[in-house]
Amino acid sequence: MTTYRSAWISLLMVLLLTACASGGQAIYTPSTPAAGAPDAETPDKFESPGEAITGKLVIYSGRSEPLIQPVIEAFELAHPQVEVLLKAGSNSELANALIEEQPNPQADVFITTELFTVQSLAEQGVFQPYQPEGSDQLPAEFIDPQNRWVGLTRRARVIMYNSELVKPEDLPRSIFDLVDPKWKGQVAAAGSTNGSMQAQIAAMRQLLGEKATEEWLQGLIDNQVTFFGGHTDVRKAVGAGEFKLGLVNHYYFYLQQAEGSPVGIIFPDQGEGQIGLITNASAAAIVRGAGNPSAAQAFLDYLVSREGQEIFAKLNYEYPLLPAAAALPELEPLEGFRLAEVEPAKAALEFKATFDLMERLGLP
Amino acid sequence: MCAAPTAFLPAGNRRINVPQILMAAGLVGLFAAIPLAYIIVRALGAEAEAWNRLLQVRMWILLRNTLLLAVTVTMGSTVIGVGTAWLTERSDLPGRKIFRWLLAMPLAIPAYIGGIVHLTLMRPRGGLFPKLLEDLTGISMPGFNPLGLWGATFILVLFSYPYIYLLSAAAFRSLNASIEEASRTMGRSTRQTFWQVVLPTLRPGIAAGMLLVALDVLAEYGTVALLRYETFTSAIFVQLAGRFDRSAASILSGVLVVLAMLILWAELRVQGQRRYTQMESQWRPAAAVSLGKWKYPALTLTLGVICLSLLVPVTVLAAWSLQALLSPEASNGVLRSGSRGFGSYTWNSLWTSAMAAFLAVQLTLPAAYLVARYPNRMSRFLSRICQVGYAIPGVVIALSLLFIVNRSFPFLYATPLVVVIAYVLRHMPQAVRGSEAAIAQVSATLEEAGLMLGRTAKQTFFKVTLPLALPGMLAGAALVFLTSLKELPATLLLRPAGFDTLAVRAWIWAVDGSYVQAAPAALLLVLISAVPLTFLLHREKLSA
Repeated sequence: MTTYRSAWISLLMVLLLTACASGGQAIYTPSTPAAGAPDAETPDKFESPGEAITGKLVIYSGRSEPLIQPVIEAFELAHPQVEVLLKAGSNSELANALIEEQPNPQADVFITTELFTVQSLAEQGVFQPYQPEGSDQLPAEFIDPQNRWVGLTRRARVIMYNSELVKPEDLPRSIFDLVDPKWKGQVAAAGSTNGSMQAQIAAMRQLLGEKATEEWLQGLIDNQVTFFGGHTDVRKAVGAGEFKLGLVNHYYFYLQQAEGSPVGIIFPDQGEGQIGLITNASAAAIVRGAGNPSAAQAFLDYLVSREGQEIFAKLNYEYPLLPAAAALPELEPLEGFRLAEVEPAKAALEFKATFDLMERLGLP
Repeated sequence: MCAAPTAFLPAGNRRINVPQILMAAGLVGLFAAIPLAYIIVRALGAEAEAWNRLLQVRMWILLRNTLLLAVTVTMGSTVIGVGTAWLTERSDLPGRKIFRWLLAMPLAIPAYIGGIVHLTLMRPRGGLFPKLLEDLTGISMPGFNPLGLWGATFILVLFSYPYIYLLSAAAFRSLNASIEEASRTMGRSTRQTFWQVVLPTLRPGIAAGMLLVALDVLAEYGTVALLRYETFTSAIFVQLAGRFDRSAASILSGVLVVLAMLILWAELRVQGQRRYTQMESQWRPAAAVSLGKWKYPALTLTLGVICLSLLVPVTVLAAWSLQALLSPEASNGVLRSGSRGFGSYTWNSLWTSAMAAFLAVQLTLPAAYLVARYPNRMSRFLSRICQVGYAIPGVVIALSLLFIVNRSFPFLYATPLVVVIAYVLRHMPQAVRGSEAAIAQVSATLEEAGLMLGRTAKQTFFKVTLPLALPGMLAGAALVFLTSLKELPATLLLRPAGFDTLAVRAWIWAVDGSYVQAAPAALLLVLISAVPLTFLLHREKLSA
């Protein structure tokens, strides 16, 4: 039976050879996590000035790929020796992975589409504090006081509509109008796996309480709202006239408009006694035990730099948090609106209750 | 499972070391069974609160949805699969030789990719097809809505019927003319003969195909997620993307695996009841039935199936790919994710699938050899265990591997090897079946001759048995390669950052609504899949 055994050994050899041969290209070897780094809570820079940043930078992104890729490409131009490995998914899916990987960290940077997820993860000790260069220019409410995460761009939850199908006088004025039977089967939204939708529900729980939020969600379900996996589907469907209304982040309206569709935007709940416009912010954080902290720090620096902020603003119609970065002129300035006041730190505590609520109602 | 009784050894041939082969087969069986055991333990060990939450509403909806879809898809695929097999094998349908190929080719198209195409074409409002109709006729027509149960059924039938087609076509081909002639002699009409004699003899082949389809439906993720029909598999993904707690996903996985095992068991029961034996020596092919006036309806039907399941998807993908590659903006996105480009996705798909195919055949060799040469309860049990992957949907294998690897083998965590392991576990059954049949085909007398000529058992195995069985084993490997290439849910969950396969790339773009960007990866995936499929069809002598 030695032949059989040698067959097994040769199999093992082949395995190893494949692994080695494809080394740089296919097999991802995590750069050794800095030994003992977890306890070194130094927000200091690892890089010395002038030294080129190299190696692999692993980014977990809750922002969908097309919305993060332009910034990554610009960053790569500035740091050509960094190789970016991107894994995009939903915020909570990646958050789950980060929690599970705590003893064995794989990612360097985490990017989310809202603040609640980063705040909950920060409380679980997943992140390493870092204060990006120039982040003192950002509004204080968009930086974690302990520097565990930093806000990037601001987005508003709006209603977009197909202007060929809806008359101006019929337009909804509030997100609560979406449960009106006159829109039955005419509304599209993102479902329970979408971070921005989760955050909206969490924000509403904080503003209005469990009962009113539940009634609203149940109202959406009863009104046969179609829940898509993401907002790109929603905006395209509204643009094509498949639905009259869509509940989206504001930039999806602008992206659809740029494609030439007949769409309009409503900034809801501006009236007396209404909750105000719900906004949130995308955010970035460095993972504790990151294999390549200097690249991670450079990436965060880049994201809050004027150049990085303007890429988000220009390509994606977002509100940059950095005052020096200009938003696109066609964007309605947020200053003109009454905004709902939500505290991310508190809403994060209620995240579990938000998931319970969505599951109880069977939100798709 | 270690102590081998001497009863294993045929008299006069004590040089083959059965205990060692047995041990190897046992180890492989253990490897195959661990994820299954682990997920069931995890599910049973989950908190009562999580169970209660699920049992209140979710579980029953999911159970109903999943079973309903499994039944509709299996039925639809059986009707189309057996129907077209009869047309190409037993009737005088014009062009049946080409149809044999075309009807099997949809196996190269993952169902979710076909789903993307049909969804874009047929969306009730905004779909290309209703729009075209409106432009042509001026009337807005409510199209067929491809979403929900019937949409999912439609898509899954289109891309699953080839399993049943291939298996029943093979059964039709091996059918002996004398059986039908006997029936006709006894005064049965053609129709009565078909229902009372032909169909029952085909039953094992059809039942095996139905089993494959039903288990595939349970494991299907992409299509049901795309068409927004919630089954266990998609619900598990929703759980994973939701709360920071994986017990609900474990519970759903446990129930899903039990469901799959019940289906497997039911098929074994059906298969075990009756036997049909044909005498090989007097075998003659049965005469083709003349279709007469039914010729053109039959032709239309067959062409329709081929159009919807093969020509339309491939044409649309090709058109989109051109569009994507010609527009500089889109092509930039198509070619890159992070620092990784198109070449890396293709290479990843190829090497992981090839390695999975190689490993699956290697690992199942001991069990296949035992069951072919020493068929008894023990060897059959081991072979069954190696086939347990059939019953474990990709998402469940991925979930249990995530748990196991992260706890016990952290150095493997987030490496592509875990993806390969998932492919091997999931697709090993195809390798077992392939190798088993291939070795059984090699007559034991050839091995005895080798032994008598003074060769040792292992020399005989490597010089005689293996070379003769190799083509059959390659077929098993090709099948593993093909299915690994198309695999989506396990790859999605297990891939390390920056490690995307073609299937993952197509999915990530499509799920975001960027169908044009998804097309090049999808098209390439289909073209690569066509290679092993062509090899398999050649073996099936479909081209004859």
